[in-house]
Amino acid sequence: MTLSVRPLCVAALLLAVACDETPPTTGFPESLDAQLRRSIGQWSVVPIAAPPQQDPALVALGRALMFDKILSGNRDISCATCHEPALHATDGLPLAIGTGGTGTGTARTLGPGRSFVPRNAPSLLNSAIGLSYVFWDGRLSRFGPPPPDVTLPRDLPNVIAAQAMMPVLNRREMRGNPGDVDVFGNPNELAQFTDSQPDQIWRAIMQRLLAIPEYVTLFRAAYPGVPPSSLTFGPAATAIAAFQMAALMKTDSPFDHYLRHEDNAISVEEKRGGILFFTRARCVSCHNGPLLGGQSFSNSGVPQLGPGVGRGAPLDLGRGELPNNDVYRFAFRVPPLRNVELTAPYFHNGTFATLESVVAHYNDVPTSLRNFNPATLPAAVQSSYHGDQATIDDILKTLEFTLRTPLQLTEAERGQLVAFLKSLTDPSARDLSGIVPASVPSGLPVR
Amino acid sequence: MSPSGLRAVCLVVPLICLVSPARAQLIPIKTIPIAQGDQFQIFPSNNMGMGGVSIALPDSLGDPFANPATTARLRASRFFSAPTVYSLSGNAGGGRSLPFAMLTRRANWYGGLALVLQQVDPSRPPQQNGFIAVNAPLARPGSGPPIPGPDLRAHGNQYAFGMFGRSWPGSNLSIGGSALWTGLHALDGVDLLYSGSRRVEQTGHAVDVRIGALKEWPGERGARTLEAVVVHNRFAATHNVLYVDQFWDPGLQQIVLQPRTDHNFDHTNTWGAQLEYQMALPTPGWRIGWVATVNRATHPKLPSYDITNVAVIPWDPGRTYAYNLGVGLSKVLGPATFGVDAIYEPIRSYTWADAIAPTATLGGDTIAVGGKTVENRFKFSNAVFRIGVGRDIALEGSPKAIGLQFGLMMRSINYRLQQTNHVELTQRALRTGWLEWSPTWGLTLRFPEFELRYRGRVMKGAGRPGFGAQFVVGARDLAVSSGAILAVPSGPLSLVDVNTATHQISLSLPIH
Repeated sequence: MTLSVRPLCVAALLLAVACDETPPTTGFPESLDAQLRRSIGQWSVVPIAAPPQQDPALVALGRALMFDKILSGNRDISCATCHEPALHATDGLPLAIGTGGTGTGTARTLGPGRSFVPRNAPSLLNSAIGLSYVFWDGRLSRFGPPPPDVTLPRDLPNVIAAQAMMPVLNRREMRGNPGDVDVFGNPNELAQFTDSQPDQIWRAIMQRLLAIPEYVTLFRAAYPGVPPSSLTFGPAATAIAAFQMAALMKTDSPFDHYLRHEDNAISVEEKRGGILFFTRARCVSCHNGPLLGGQSFSNSGVPQLGPGVGRGAPLDLGRGELPNNDVYRFAFRVPPLRNVELTAPYFHNGTFATLESVVAHYNDVPTSLRNFNPATLPAAVQSSYHGDQATIDDILKTLEFTLRTPLQLTEAERGQLVAFLKSLTDPSARDLSGIVPASVPSGLPVR
Repeated sequence: MSPSGLRAVCLVVPLICLVSPARAQLIPIKTIPIAQGDQFQIFPSNNMGMGGVSIALPDSLGDPFANPATTARLRASRFFSAPTVYSLSGNAGGGRSLPFAMLTRRANWYGGLALVLQQVDPSRPPQQNGFIAVNAPLARPGSGPPIPGPDLRAHGNQYAFGMFGRSWPGSNLSIGGSALWTGLHALDGVDLLYSGSRRVEQTGHAVDVRIGALKEWPGERGARTLEAVVVHNRFAATHNVLYVDQFWDPGLQQIVLQPRTDHNFDHTNTWGAQLEYQMALPTPGWRIGWVATVNRATHPKLPSYDITNVAVIPWDPGRTYAYNLGVGLSKVLGPATFGVDAIYEPIRSYTWADAIAPTATLGGDTIAVGGKTVENRFKFSNAVFRIGVGRDIALEGSPKAIGLQFGLMMRSINYRLQQTNHVELTQRALRTGWLEWSPTWGLTLRFPEFELRYRGRVMKGAGRPGFGAQFVVGARDLAVSSGAILAVPSGPLSLVDVNTATHQISLSLPIH
């Protein structure tokens, strides 16, 4: 047997040796879904759960307050004026126009002697999603100290309710200037208080509200067992926040479906844009987390526009305007991106009107900043563009590190990025007309 | 195994259509070198210690379970039991089986019954650096019960086998039929195929029906034999896979965990036929055999497996044509036995993904519901080589004898995958392969009253999904923390080598 077996054993060994060498393997590129899901997985991007149910009575009160101009000193502007449902809870303007203005939306114009609000009115869509910071400079935070210029009530339930306390104090936005008269020709009593008297201002607003029986009824329903006369403006702000949570949370976008494992929820072009977003285009370095932003600040090299804020005026130093925040000079809150398609114009001062222009800006920020053409802006704000070399150099000094080198995206890739950004739109956010009341308790015009 | 040898394969299909303890007639298909344990080695085998050679060397214990007609060779009724245990190195899994079988014949009729109880341990990533899997439930902030942890209990399978047949001595013809029913709750390794899952519950069954024939032509140097088997195998399993998804809760303003259960169905139906011919060679003791097998498998639904480090690919229906052609030599001369088999297995498999909704392609077209979005074409060129020797040693002055066996089995798997994606308008190709090999051994104690056999083997060359040595958390926990399925990584498939050691002790007792 030995002689017969030996050749077979040799053959077996040869076969073993031959097979032990793994055959050449050609690369097997990942599918788009594999690439995209792997990219997403590194950035804690998760879908948004349904918002908690809100007390209908609280929402009804908040809805009335949101659309009622009685909250403004001159009774000529409501929250919804700058957060117009027809424009997806923003006003479509680069810089907001506060009290004294006329018209609505993009047709709104400054009143005589008035100036623009220094920053863009951000959309209220998903404002109640759980942002860490609100306002463009993030001066109001879920975690940090209260804003330096005002003491807020301690019993506010969330940062959105705290935010709703603020615009009624701002003279440009809602309160008005000393000597103003309201739409009926009566003196604006809210404007008479100094800026350091927020409690008196809020109390005066409550006096206005509780003088209207329908508001008394609405407050009683929202806060049963609490005498309306004992209520402060905090409960009113809480009601506005509840309305925002109930009516303006729009998180059912195709991308959210994709995050819920529906591979066909977004198109091939959108997937390619998503891969760029999460990788080479570096968008995700700021727009990350469950909300795709909202948690940090960035100097994105945005051209300076508007009357400016505080000590930096006529420039707007953004987060750097706040005490001990020089490192954030020209940095602004990174906005969350769901529904971004609907909330033009973009950035803190609305200098870019389209998503395409935003992506082009990010493709080469230094060049975009240096070559910014103010003619692309609405005529009313063109003169407030600060395009001098010193300002540009100043902005570039603290430019976000990841934006200092061009992305070198092709035109097709920029189109894919835009397509991906549009996949973040909840279809139900396109038409918000259903949230507008026919009338408000004060009887003032809703629009 | 070198991870670099296996790029992001995305295909998972260790097609479990080979869920049958019977050898040969069902050709295994495997697209990744996953170690699947040895749970289907449940019936006794005499040749297992000789590398499992079978083409030119009959397996007196195992053949009746592969081709019921070969039970005609049984001289007397016998009772069998073959307790079998297997374990994977690195504490990656294991199982044990306890079969009871009886083969009997009366005049020209013969039959058999077998019952097998089996327990399969949960599959685990091979332990590295002292890692111990954690099975604590996950607490959920807010409302909701805790999410259960991985199921670390062993689960049982049951097998029931029945067979009968008749022989016609005048014509040396035998025809038999058999049926095997399997109740499945644990397929080894399946729980590792769903990366990021929290736990996997398996239910299912398999039915294997076969009809066999044996024809012998006596000759001076030994009989020529022709065996034929037709087999139909139906396999259906459901995998209820619990994932933990992460959501942002606007109310709580934090990320919360929610359980999600995916129901994956794994259905495969196989028709197969095999012809095996043996004849004696002019040299005394030598025999030669040939075997030819054809399988046609349809896969009404393949599961959407998701292996750690492997990109997700949609899997829907498919079909497979598998063939093998083999030649074997054996020599039985006195107490010595030698056998060798060489088999070539060409396989063609075609799977695709159906559009479950109108799907826009990159070219602007729309694939209607039911249209193919992805097509995968596999071309396998597998080879099997088995060699073994055995020697009986009579104990001087005693009716007892000892038998020794040694052998080696090697399976070379090579395939090319051509994938066409009609949505992305891309084509991708992959060529890969690996080698699995098993040294085998056996020891037989022959007493006048009964025979006691020990058979063992170690299967090498396959692996199990592991986790990087840098991580101190398990694969499941890692996936949970990074977003369940969203966290599916890609890149080279990284499996940790494991060995599967199988030990079988079979008792063959004549029934007088």
